[in-house]
Amino acid sequence: MNIEELEKQVQLAEDIQEIEHLQRTYGYYFDNNMWAEILDLFSDNAESVEIADHGVLYGKKGVERIYMDVIGGRNRPPRDSWVQFIVMQIGGVVDVAPDGKTAEGRFQTWLFEAKPYGAYPRAEYLHGYYENKYVKENGKWKFSKLHWNNTFCSPVEDGWLNLPLMGWMPLPGVDEPPSAFHPYPYHRGNVPYHFKHPVTGK
Amino acid sequence: MNLAELEKQVTRLEDIQEIENLQRMYGYYFDIGRYQEVIDLFSENTESVEITDHGVFRGKEGVNRMYAGMVGMKRPGWMFFEVIQSQGVIEVAPDGKTATGRWYTPAFECRPFGGTKKQTWEFGVYSNEYVKENGRWYFKKLHWNLIYWTSYERGFLKVPKLSDTPFPHADAPATAYHPYPSGYHVPFPFKHPVTGQ
Repeated sequence: MNIEELEKQVQLAEDIQEIEHLQRTYGYYFDNNMWAEILDLFSDNAESVEIADHGVLYGKKGVERIYMDVIGGRNRPPRDSWVQFIVMQIGGVVDVAPDGKTAEGRFQTWLFEAKPYGAYPRAEYLHGYYENKYVKENGKWKFSKLHWNNTFCSPVEDGWLNLPLMGWMPLPGVDEPPSAFHPYPYHRGNVPYHFKHPVTGK
Repeated sequence: MNLAELEKQVTRLEDIQEIENLQRMYGYYFDIGRYQEVIDLFSENTESVEITDHGVFRGKEGVNRMYAGMVGMKRPGWMFFEVIQSQGVIEVAPDGKTATGRWYTPAFECRPFGGTKKQTWEFGVYSNEYVKENGRWYFKKLHWNLIYWTSYERGFLKVPKLSDTPFPHADAPATAYHPYPSGYHVPFPFKHPVTGQ
């Protein structure tokens, strides 16, 4: 291996590491309601963002709307401190394109949430998958597309078997309806894997 | 560091990354019941696969036998096994040809149980071995050992395991099946990084 080849290999290792950190950092900001910081993790040329059944929102404008207005609620009073969104970012399989400029990643998530539901505070477990795209701009990795698909969203008291989905949350005025929202027990294989099988190549 | 040494270091980093991906892909294929894809992740020279108290299945033929009943099996949507592959510690042998890995796995499940559907929590540990053949990493040995398998509603303190599940067509009985609260843990494949013990 010559020095150029070696440099390329090291670059690839660094890219994967940086993307894994980007994804985990997103989670840590999300846990702490740091919505402006999340917005800055997205490319200005972001393609789209899609979370659960909210629908597809295009462009950086859509990213801003979902994090700053819908989830973040910048025009609402701050949340009570018992409201919690812990989203564990687990098991990344990240593939960087041969030109080193874009990448795709699958992660899974386990969530511990507490939020008002109707008139009452509820605690719930959620599970879901990301199939995301990333882009490297000026030497930094950013999100270019984020898609989180929900497997279940269930009150702690009931579990996924008894209550797979606590409620629908479609947003008005989105660009497209959700592309793959079929929660448990219809969840299997909704979002295709970006990666090829490492042995068979299929 | 000269170029050859640097190349060795980089290869080691790539090996760890590839093995982590292999293990996580196993999880992603397993989750949605793609067992043929799971089987294809194992080396032709596989030593064994052992899952909970199902028993030991030897060789690639054993891998096929272990997962074969599941390949193409139509599972209703409510039956599911979300096994979270987390916290890998991978050690590549100095010659770069084999590796070991230990992982934790919380799991959400739902399966038939005595004529009803039951939602369950499972928790276990992998202690796996990997082999590099033709530049690619494969499973050489997979061992997942159960810590608890409990009902969603009751928890592991009250119900550490729901039942025993030995497979009659295994080559040998389970080697390390001692669920909670025995305190047993599968031996670590790795040495303490500071003391070396």
